[in-house]
Amino acid sequence: MSGQKSNPPRQAIWLLQHACPGSDKEALTGDLIERFREGQSRVWFWKQVLIAIAVGVLGEIRRHWPHFSYAIAGTAMPAFLWKTVEGVPAVLHWYALPWPWSQLAFELSRPALLALAALPVLAAALVINGSFRWVGLLQTGMINLALIILGHYLLGLLDAFPWLLRPVPGNPYLFTILILPPPSLELLFFSSFLVSAWLGCRSPRHADEFERRARS
Amino acid sequence: MPERSYLGEMELMVLLAVVRLGDDAYGVPISKELLNLAGREVALGSVYAALDRLQEKGFVTSALGDPTPERGGRAKRYFRVTPAGLRALRMTRTALSNLWSGIPLLEGKRS
Repeated sequence: MSGQKSNPPRQAIWLLQHACPGSDKEALTGDLIERFREGQSRVWFWKQVLIAIAVGVLGEIRRHWPHFSYAIAGTAMPAFLWKTVEGVPAVLHWYALPWPWSQLAFELSRPALLALAALPVLAAALVINGSFRWVGLLQTGMINLALIILGHYLLGLLDAFPWLLRPVPGNPYLFTILILPPPSLELLFFSSFLVSAWLGCRSPRHADEFERRARS
Repeated sequence: MPERSYLGEMELMVLLAVVRLGDDAYGVPISKELLNLAGREVALGSVYAALDRLQEKGFVTSALGDPTPERGGRAKRYFRVTPAGLRALRMTRTALSNLWSGIPLLEGKRS
């Protein structure tokens, strides 16, 4: 058998190693190479790799469904809550606070309220999942707040590039929206909520239990 | 999530293959066993996903073997059924037997 024929596609192996979630990647790669050297085709190898990645991603969603519920709820909320949240500082007279508190309230109130709004969804999902911890919830809220504020200021930097912005129809003075594909902001929100839940709610205790069970 | 103690269809087939293979139960023979005995061509990624779930439920344990050149220097991961896995298999067989019994249509006795 020639070297070309006995060697599986390197790009597929790289993809499997880097894009497939799970801890059995080495064994899975070895199995695929073994089958390939038994006579399976390169198309078969690629198909197996793509299926393994898809199955791995679905498994991660199944395993971390509370985090995904939180991210979906958090991504959907700005569409419904933005106007409500926008009015909160005025209703509570936060603008009347002395500087810099009024500025902080103006800048941070909306991100803070958005970060908090989806937490009940995460709490409910974690309770159903049997992995609720107050510390995890608090950490998630704080991390998400930090990420939303960071995103808020990073997007604010785009004011330095006016050709990237355009006025909102009917209100050209106060608001501008980015010339980005429509789902971009939603993807940013989704990523922020997902990353914060993943970082905030990681439970070393569960990992230890899993290891102990695996060893027994 | 509260862990389920019952087996899904793929988990049941993979667990039976692990029991049948004994000390030689790793990804490749398990997938061949499913093809030869159950007529199912199952992707290796799906086999590992099922094994992962079985391991989470405590129905199998795994251990790494030695790396071999024909596998590109990768080790095999061998799986072995646990007593809890055997109990789950027996419970599933009882439940399925109860469900199968007394159905004339499925026994070829059309009334």
